Amino acid sequence: MNHVRYQIQHQTTYFYTGRIDLCHSLAHLEPRGDCDQEVIDHKIKVTPKPDSKSVRKDFLGNTTHYFSVQGSHTSLEITSQLTVEKSTKTPVLPKSELPWETLKIALSDLDPSKTRMVHFLLPTRACPHADFIREFLRPSLIAGKDVVALANDLMTRIFNEFQFLTGATDVSTPIQSVIANRTGVCQDFAHVMIAALRSIGIPSRYVSGYLETIPPPGVPKLKGVDASHAWVEVYSPATGWVGFDPTNNKLPDSQYIKICHGRDYFDVQPVRGIFIGSGKQSLKVSVDVERIKESV
Amino acid sequence: MSSHSLSPDSLTETSHYQTMDDRRDESIASDGSIRPEWSELFKSVERHGIEGVARWQETAARISRERGLAYRPATLDESASQGWSIDPIPWIVSAERWSVFESGITQRLRLSEALLADIYGEQKLFKNNLVPMSIVLKHRGFLRTLHNAPPGNGIVGLGLCAFDLARDSKGRTFIVNDRFDRPSGLGLALENRTIVNKVLPNLFRRCGVRRIGSFFADWFERLAQYSNNTDSDPLVVILDDSSQHEDSEISFLANYCGVTRVHPSDITVRDGRVWIKALRGLVPVDVIWKSTPGCGLDALESEIRPCFGIPGIFEAIREGNVAVASHPGSEVIQSAALYPFLPKLCREFLGEDLLLPPVQTWWCGEKAGLSHVTANIDKMVVKSAGNPHLFGTHYGRLLSDAEKTALIGQIRDNPGDFVGQEELEISSIPASRPHGLTPRSAVLRTFSFLGADGTASVMPGGLARVSRVDGMIITTRETGDSKDVWVRSKKEEAPYDISSVLSISGFRAPDIVSSRTGENLYWSGRYAERTSLAVRFASRLIDCRIRGISGVKGFEAEHEKILVDSLFKIFDCPILSPDMTPDARLMSIFKDPNCPAGITFGLERFNYATQSAREEWSPVSVQAISACYDQWIQSINQVDSFFELEPALDELQLNLSAFLGQNLDSMTRDSGWALLDAGRRIERGSNICGLLKTLVTSNLSGEMDTIFNESILYFLDSVRTYQSNFYEKPKTELTTLLLLGENDYPKSITHVLERLYGLLKKLPTPENRPHPRDRIPLISAKLIEFVVELYQWKKHDSFDSKVTAEFLDELIEFFNRLSDILTTSYFSHAEISE
Repeated sequence: MNHVRYQIQHQTTYFYTGRIDLCHSLAHLEPRGDCDQEVIDHKIKVTPKPDSKSVRKDFLGNTTHYFSVQGSHTSLEITSQLTVEKSTKTPVLPKSELPWETLKIALSDLDPSKTRMVHFLLPTRACPHADFIREFLRPSLIAGKDVVALANDLMTRIFNEFQFLTGATDVSTPIQSVIANRTGVCQDFAHVMIAALRSIGIPSRYVSGYLETIPPPGVPKLKGVDASHAWVEVYSPATGWVGFDPTNNKLPDSQYIKICHGRDYFDVQPVRGIFIGSGKQSLKVSVDVERIKESV
Repeated sequence: MSSHSLSPDSLTETSHYQTMDDRRDESIASDGSIRPEWSELFKSVERHGIEGVARWQETAARISRERGLAYRPATLDESASQGWSIDPIPWIVSAERWSVFESGITQRLRLSEALLADIYGEQKLFKNNLVPMSIVLKHRGFLRTLHNAPPGNGIVGLGLCAFDLARDSKGRTFIVNDRFDRPSGLGLALENRTIVNKVLPNLFRRCGVRRIGSFFADWFERLAQYSNNTDSDPLVVILDDSSQHEDSEISFLANYCGVTRVHPSDITVRDGRVWIKALRGLVPVDVIWKSTPGCGLDALESEIRPCFGIPGIFEAIREGNVAVASHPGSEVIQSAALYPFLPKLCREFLGEDLLLPPVQTWWCGEKAGLSHVTANIDKMVVKSAGNPHLFGTHYGRLLSDAEKTALIGQIRDNPGDFVGQEELEISSIPASRPHGLTPRSAVLRTFSFLGADGTASVMPGGLARVSRVDGMIITTRETGDSKDVWVRSKKEEAPYDISSVLSISGFRAPDIVSSRTGENLYWSGRYAERTSLAVRFASRLIDCRIRGISGVKGFEAEHEKILVDSLFKIFDCPILSPDMTPDARLMSIFKDPNCPAGITFGLERFNYATQSAREEWSPVSVQAISACYDQWIQSINQVDSFFELEPALDELQLNLSAFLGQNLDSMTRDSGWALLDAGRRIERGSNICGLLKTLVTSNLSGEMDTIFNESILYFLDSVRTYQSNFYEKPKTELTTLLLLGENDYPKSITHVLERLYGLLKKLPTPENRPHPRDRIPLISAKLIEFVVELYQWKKHDSFDSKVTAEFLDELIEFFNRLSDILTTSYFSHAEISE
């Protein structure tokens, strides 16, 4: 089978106008081991050097890195370097699944040890249960349609109806305004799709990761143009988790490198920090996804 | 007539208390006879009459007021239900009845601990299908981030717990509420006991009431045992985020036990440990008894936004570097949706039948529960299953038909979010009202904890809460009168002296001046000085404008502009719109709370810093400052023109001087006082240098130069000193000489530095870094050198403004740096990175 190998650098830098005396941070930057990809190497480097750090698994099995920097500092840089290999097979939409109306009943017979499924059914801060979400979903609810086809239609609808607009939203923009204005970025589209599917009892989860971008022919690829990406995985009893990218109307293929999954963005926020000190903070994020090897 | 076998002097009936026909009473049996444990109380009432009961009430109110805990007397106006008040008539429980309560509570404690351990550990309750997952997962108290951090291995499970007991018309006892995360009321229970003991000392003795002191002693010993630090005596603190501006029951508890009370902002996490930021350095904390919600404890990991918790503390808990009681995730087991499952859970986890049932509860997430609750809505008390803060308590029978339909609709939309509870006919106890004794429904809050060996300690007593209105159920969030609870003893008990126990259990209650207090004092000093300068700035502007300073047209306006520009430069103020009229411009500067050169800016911060360190000032002073601030805001909002503010400015100046003079005189000369005064001196030093710098770099000449010099001297209240030192009109070289070099003049930099050296000596030497005072001699030496130069220039009439400006920059930088050093050494305890 064909494989492709990527080297990814994801750099997050905080700058402060004043001086920071103490920072505590959590990072969700390490890829899960259970995805359809092989992690060759991964490391995280923090500058200034952290005074304490630890690694643990969160409640969904993602790896969380905690670190704190105690010396006073005016900038903080977190670099995640990842080498990962993916198979280049083209994803296909699974066929003959359950109709969406009966999925709920099928799930209630689930083995109770599959407790994690419940997390992906309950509402969260970013993906609440609300009438405006059910309202948004209504046109997609075609009787008897199977779960995967319904999710696929919904993905296409979001892609067609919503405008991708950087800066129109931020992490605190409520989903209600995203739906009302039909604008947002990949996180918002993922949240919309998740909230809609959960409202009819289809387990769905938020996936954080990277997407390789390919410049037009003849144009050299610039440094730092890639970005962290977000898409959705939907549960279907026959197949398991199936990926959908509403931002690009695409089933995630070998160009999608998955890092973590959560109930929503806040579970898998790449870097979250609390900084104690003075001054204002600014943030710079750069991501490079570089294809280093293709093998047959 | 009843046939109780009472002792001959026992009272069997009373005419002073009429029970409700339809409701069980705790003191009077259905045949009208007094239950034996209440007989002494009714005898006292018989003897003293209604007037006596009224007197008890008055005495209780007076003592309560004197002790200063938030207190409102009971009034006939039932709507005034704010705050707590104490009813001196206790709830009396017989020894036999109490032992039933005690065994029920003990079992619930063990069950709750097992449940907590399972939820954050193995999760058998899901795997074995004992409880629907969403009850736990949707509860706001379930902290996902602490999964795999169950009690054990240095992590505390349940700390102090509260169970509310109520009895129904058939005399059955139910647990109607439980509190694990941060039960309130222990301080009030202690307060009530203290007061009632003073009001009814003889009755207390005659009744053979069980003492509660030993429970507190045991609890503190238990707290110390939670510590994972085996090397030394553990430091135990109470974490309390109640507003600094009020006294809470926590402050009462802290005082009683001599335990250090800390605010989340006093705490920092470094090297995976928890520390108190104190003036004398970082003090390691071993055990935290928290009275703040667990779900907001760690700002880094909390799902609540915004969150003001202590970032990094969960990491310290997981590592076993600090013991926090209770487990921050314990709120989840308070979910009323778990009640229907408790009998099953009790059999599963303990292999026992549940002794004290919870009030009958239906979770609407199950079909049967949903249909029962919606069909019987009139008899239901509807509550949230997952977040009691989002949805209060709703009594079906009090709702209109439309409200009922709406509520049912809400439940049907998200059934899993709701529970319905049977509304109990809660039994009554005698409550004292101004017109005598009257029956009121009451709930008994008990306090308990599990010992290291798994045995339970239950406080023999508690806090009774009675409804303000007849027949109304009591909920936790509703306030009402509170009562002491007397558990009768079978044998005589000696009073308990808690202080002896606290010293045995190795509690150290160090004399910690927190960094927060120190920092607030320091900024009180800085902003007092800043405000004084702003006031003088304003006065000068008014003075010049009203009285005129020159015959030249446009001179005042030009002068005003120079002054404003100078001040803006010194304090780095935001640029104002050039379209404003000069008057509007001034008004905005002084009114705008965000303009650092203005009065509102300084005064607001001064007021805030003073209020935040209120324990350091006399209460009268704190009130005076707050009044001063209010008055200023009022004045500035009332006048149409800035130039009408003169009287308000004069008064403000007077109040500020009086405040500082009085407080600096009466404060103990400790590190707090030193920081306050150091704040003033640093602000002053930095302002003098800033003003001088604008002066030497202004390149003014002639009359404008003279007037500008005069203004600078005026700002610093130095006009007269200048005149008596130099017999000529103000000029830059002499102003500089006076404000830098005049040894005996308190407003000169020479004097400021000397004074600072003396003040900083009072501060402790910070760990791993030089003492801040050691920074002063070098700059002082440079200053002396420079002053010598100034004298030379004066002699030769050759003032070098460029060199002077450079030196002033060095001084300004020095003051800024010194302020930073004080901050990092004593307030933020930042580490210096290489």
